[in-house]
Amino acid sequence: MLNITAAVRRTIIMAGLVVVGGTGMALAHHSYSAFEMAGTRVISGTIKKMDWTNPHTWIWIDVANDQGVVETWGIEGMSPNYLERRGWSRTTIKVGDKLSITFHPLKNGDKGGSFQSAQRPNGEVLGMTPPISDK
Amino acid sequence: MDRTNSILCGFVTASLVFGPTGSAQSVTRKAPTAADWTSLAKLPDFTGVWEVGLGGGGGGRAAAPGAAPGGRGDAAAKGGGRAPAAGGAGRAGRGGGPSLTPAYAAKAQARASNSTDDAQAANCLPPGLPAIMNQPYPMEFLLTPGQVTIVIEAYSQVRHIYTDGRLLPADPDPLFYGTSVGHWEDDTLVAETVGLAQVPRGLAFPYSEKLKVAERFRLTGPDTMTIETTLIDPDAFTAPYSMGSRTLARHRSWTIAEYICEENNRNFIDDKGSAGVKLSNPLSSAK
Repeated sequence: MLNITAAVRRTIIMAGLVVVGGTGMALAHHSYSAFEMAGTRVISGTIKKMDWTNPHTWIWIDVANDQGVVETWGIEGMSPNYLERRGWSRTTIKVGDKLSITFHPLKNGDKGGSFQSAQRPNGEVLGMTPPISDK
Repeated sequence: MDRTNSILCGFVTASLVFGPTGSAQSVTRKAPTAADWTSLAKLPDFTGVWEVGLGGGGGGRAAAPGAAPGGRGDAAAKGGGRAPAAGGAGRAGRGGGPSLTPAYAAKAQARASNSTDDAQAANCLPPGLPAIMNQPYPMEFLLTPGQVTIVIEAYSQVRHIYTDGRLLPADPDPLFYGTSVGHWEDDTLVAETVGLAQVPRGLAFPYSEKLKVAERFRLTGPDTMTIETTLIDPDAFTAPYSMGSRTLARHRSWTIAEYICEENNRNFIDDKGSAGVKLSNPLSSAK
């Protein structure tokens, strides 16, 4: 039985090699022309909702802006199919979790982006890495 | 006659029924016998779920006349966003793409400023063959008497390759995945597909209704398979064009998962044909 926590932790090693958000995800069902793929931004907040859905997962996170007003951001991730084979589950990110998310922002300035990686307060990094071996 | 054709020849009831226009073809097969099922064990073990290797990069090259498919790359990954060099009738365009006939070189130039492949995919329209074979999701191969079935996780699609000895249809309906027949050459499944509609299929160059996709599936190790893909189009290409070879890895612990693209698709196409993202109305209930 795969230990999800351990599997996700393994992604720490690969955090520098995250392919999703780069050419790997560009193979998926749409281009990433809406996102600023050459740049990243980091936001920190509290998970409001997690859509464990196809064709993409969506992480909804409440983030306080510079004026202290809480705004909800939507971060697009790879599909559940893809992520489950890399150690994620639908409960890897839960409502109420505190996360810092690194993402490629939308070019149009909307409060959204394409997931690159996330980090918990304890330092655990959530990435999207090459497949877990089943050997 | 190769091994499998001899196995399957008796399996097909050769009742090719042509419709009034000569375009329809149906084949009525006998119920498989125990011997038919037993014969499957003599074939290479393609069963299981295969991870499609990412990359490839959209290279490809003109295939030597008569050559088996080979090379590298798959323009499918590019979403059709790049036009080939259009002035190169009689030679392959630099950066990939087949050598186009003059008429199709002109079409390529017109198409260069009007590609919509990516837009359609963002609307959850699956790409046709060959792009559907190069998605970042696995595929499962099922071998049954007279047929190879490929269950494609991406967009929850299915391909059928008939290995019962039937011929390619003379006047096929144009489809996303066309109509495929195959046979075994030693340990290689050789499939040909015709009837490919003008739909997004990841090709950054124009093609005609005569497009044929030739694929060679072969095990290269206990859990590795290569698929070599070549495009043949006598109207559009001056020579067969190799899309290259991809390697698949079998994962015995994997199963094919559900992929309903319309479930929560937040991508859309703006009036310029570019993909955008909708952030409104998060789903009220998560799975």
